[in-house]
Amino acid sequence: MNRTYITALLLASAIAAVAQTPTSKAPAKAWKQTKTPDGQPDLQGVWVNFDSTPFERAAPANTTAPASGNQNALLFADRAPKVAARPSMVVEPADGRVPLTPWAVEQRDYSLSHVQDSWEYNTTWERCITRGMPAAFFPAGYNNGYQILQTPGQVVIMFEMIHETRVIPIDGRPHLPAALRQWNGDPRGHWEGNTLVVETTNFNGRGMIATNAASARIRSTPETENARITERFTRVDADTINYEVTIDDPKVSAPWKVAMPLVRDDSYKIYEYMCHEANQDYMEITLGGGRLQEKNAAAAGRK
Amino acid sequence: MTRKTFSLSIAAFGLLLAAAGPVAAHHSFSAEFDADKPVTLHGTVTKVEWTNPHAWIHIDVKGDDGQMTPWKIEAGAPNALLRRGFTKQYLPPGTAIVVEGFRAKDGSNRANGANVTTPDGKKLFLGSSGTGAPYEEKGGK
Repeated sequence: MNRTYITALLLASAIAAVAQTPTSKAPAKAWKQTKTPDGQPDLQGVWVNFDSTPFERAAPANTTAPASGNQNALLFADRAPKVAARPSMVVEPADGRVPLTPWAVEQRDYSLSHVQDSWEYNTTWERCITRGMPAAFFPAGYNNGYQILQTPGQVVIMFEMIHETRVIPIDGRPHLPAALRQWNGDPRGHWEGNTLVVETTNFNGRGMIATNAASARIRSTPETENARITERFTRVDADTINYEVTIDDPKVSAPWKVAMPLVRDDSYKIYEYMCHEANQDYMEITLGGGRLQEKNAAAAGRK
Repeated sequence: MTRKTFSLSIAAFGLLLAAAGPVAAHHSFSAEFDADKPVTLHGTVTKVEWTNPHAWIHIDVKGDDGQMTPWKIEAGAPNALLRRGFTKQYLPPGTAIVVEGFRAKDGSNRANGANVTTPDGKKLFLGSSGTGAPYEEKGGK
């Protein structure tokens, strides 16, 4: 067992030991929301969410639902978690479980069981297309850095994973025509007091609501053309943005909400992450492994 | 650390490890590599590809018959490795290393690297964090 691994375990132990904290944080008395030169509440800076909170709460013991996985021991080999673990990322419904429809479960299971059959069943992240929206904010084991820039009329968010930038107009312009569909939809923002509210529609129906393994049961869940994603960014002190996202996609589930803090970290350096550069090996091995299994099964059948 | 607190820590590790499930990474380990085929490769570095989403270390491995076989070892992303103090220059061509990892499911001479041991005896964690790889789930399954 190497030192990095032991350090990660020690951190995981420490996290598990601390009391679980509420999702929202009351504004600090001494802190006052500053404004950008054009008068927007200032959210600018580098933010991270290395966060070991499980995505969902565990299923009740008397059901046969598949386990959601427990990420309390999530091992951040590269960066220590910045916030204490909470019962779940999912805060609505109150049981901390996403009420997936049978259709969504079937689609998800089909994709997961066919990853060695075709590239198309792999997540959009594994294909280096996009981590997805809102999936881009669900923390992974590494690269959980976000840089927010504000200019008159727009808020720009750069995601370290996987080298993506969202440009969010806040000038009141209408959404794109319904015929224009995008992997990450079409975001429009506005301010409600000090809260930035972003509504995203116009998804192309080919993406996934969550693409990383830490989102456990929700990974590979489809996102339809009718998805409507509502995010709320509220800076509650110099170092914290309370981030909330509500996912409304009726064919997939009743509306549900995720909440998590984004923590300011001026020391965090966002590096380039060119996902597609050498992704060929992944597809060759994954799909090649599937064909080898078929060949071996056929050979065994002939004996 | 006293013997008692040490034992408690070990117990805490055990509980945490038992709770550890597949976590977050770019690629899930299980689609690509075989947890039932661990490999230990003694080789010489020929090239390091400092690429995304994973760096690849190329080594020549000498077989029992004296023949050299090239292998490619998957490591974490360059920025993840960099944050551990690991740079492309760390393993110049010609360096004799030992890699412990797991073989690719397509039967090719590719493996996921868990760690690498350099000639000075240093052992470095090579993997991607949170892949659900066996080295992250010791005691869990």
